[in-house]
Amino acid sequence: MKERDHSWEVDEQFENLERQEYTARLGMWIFVGSEALLFAGLFGLYTAYRILHPAAFAEATHHNNQLLGTINTAVLITSSFSVAWAVHAIRMDRRKAATLSLGVTLVLAAGFLVIKGFEYSHHFSAGIYPGVHYSSEELTGHGPKLFFTLYYFMTGLHALHVIAGMTVLGWIAVLVRRGRYTSTRNAAVENGALYWHLVDLIWIFLWPLFYLLR
Amino acid sequence: MAAKHHVSGAGYLAAWIALLVLTALSYGAAHLALGGFGTPVALGIAGIKAMVVLLFFMHLIEASTSMRVIAAVAVLFIVFLCLGIAADVAYR
Repeated sequence: MKERDHSWEVDEQFENLERQEYTARLGMWIFVGSEALLFAGLFGLYTAYRILHPAAFAEATHHNNQLLGTINTAVLITSSFSVAWAVHAIRMDRRKAATLSLGVTLVLAAGFLVIKGFEYSHHFSAGIYPGVHYSSEELTGHGPKLFFTLYYFMTGLHALHVIAGMTVLGWIAVLVRRGRYTSTRNAAVENGALYWHLVDLIWIFLWPLFYLLR
Repeated sequence: MAAKHHVSGAGYLAAWIALLVLTALSYGAAHLALGGFGTPVALGIAGIKAMVVLLFFMHLIEASTSMRVIAAVAVLFIVFLCLGIAADVAYR
């Protein structure tokens, strides 16, 4: 706070900019924690149905394309890295590098959705729809139907988070480009990145549950 | 809230490579005949990956105690919920 006067960008309830940024980060963590609990209920349901229908869940997992699921895992992990790199860059006032990293993240996120879309359309062509519309002739019975309904709900909710994250990061990229954030004022960039990492974290668990455990 | 020690560029790179290696390991392990250990191995590796993301990408390694507590409580409650449901369904 020595050379530059930051008073114009600090709300009156905060002693200084650092305190304000800290509060923003803390608030974001509370939000991320609550979001994780939204998925917790679904992970709980998966646990229950997997124990009740172990053979059917293993068989249904075989239907999912392991290669595409694994590629998508690598894509999402790399997008997490690129958004972390954007925070790293803005902390050093490297605006161009930060904007570029956010752009790379958006491209990877779009790639993830395209691959997921291919998977969905493959399921649809096999009659695998969620809930009452499930009409697969290959995987019959109650178990596979439960598996794929959970699959659509969890990956669908996750995909909605991907879209929300892309919107947030796209907006932040514009503001970074305009020079809104600096090495001392960047909680918004970091909070957008935190949201994106949450999207990555959820997928890290969806991948083994829906692709690996056969 | 004094000057924080930030994760370095090399730190992010190492975390990224570690995550890709762990993904490959998990993929490989899924193709071995591990019997009953398949699930714990897959979820264990996922847990380690989650820790790498939380500590380095999400900066918990440099964050204040309050943020670590929030993250730990969320993780703990998810684990409790799933274990509780598993025990209920398996031993009913």
